[in-house]
Amino acid sequence: MDFLKSIAIAASGLRAQAGRMRVISENLANADTAASSAGVEPYRRRVATFKSEVDRALDAQIVSLGRVATDPSEFRVKNEPGHPAADQNGNVKYPNVNPLVEMTDLREAQRSYEANINVISASRRMIQRTLEILKS
Amino acid sequence: MATPSIAANAYATLAKLTDPSALTKGGAGQALGGGSSFGDMLKDAVEAINKTTRNSDIQTQAAAAGKANIVDVVTAVAESEVAIDALVSVRDKVISAYEEIMKMPI
Repeated sequence: MDFLKSIAIAASGLRAQAGRMRVISENLANADTAASSAGVEPYRRRVATFKSEVDRALDAQIVSLGRVATDPSEFRVKNEPGHPAADQNGNVKYPNVNPLVEMTDLREAQRSYEANINVISASRRMIQRTLEILKS
Repeated sequence: MATPSIAANAYATLAKLTDPSALTKGGAGQALGGGSSFGDMLKDAVEAINKTTRNSDIQTQAAAAGKANIVDVVTAVAESEVAIDALVSVRDKVISAYEEIMKMPI
């Protein structure tokens, strides 16, 4: 039945957005994880990617969390001579995580999640309204 | 996804049951004896619902044990809810139709 299919497809969206939230929370939690020593890289920002795939049982395109890639952009460098990970010039590499960008991503994931939930509740309402015809 | 088309199947069976061409082909007695009676349809549908309900039970237990995704639980429960709702509606409707016939003065 198409309604149950759309519920299942929206559920795949929920799963994908939940995975994206996980990646965002990793980034936010590690926003200040500097390198442990001078030569070591600090935490590198991770980016969730989505991929569309055909579900044979549903005969529909569902979404799933694809590869979690790393962001190749430059690290933030702060001048902190007292830090254990400071190099000769007193610079410390900090992760290339911008909390503002992460919060925007988080909001986007939240809204997409809500959109998928709306698809589920609308489909359920439509099924129930249809069944009410039988009951009356 | 376990049997998303239970309701559709139930309707199809019901349609077969009330199909006038089937009656002309085999006669009313044949339709009743030929395994497509309302009781059989109900039995088939209940068995199918049992399957979805079992699936939703498995998902709920796995979630309680911390193994399953809450999304899977919600979809499984919604699916079995829809199936049960559909079957109960069809049953109520057919029974009320039967009562209507039984009330008919002869």
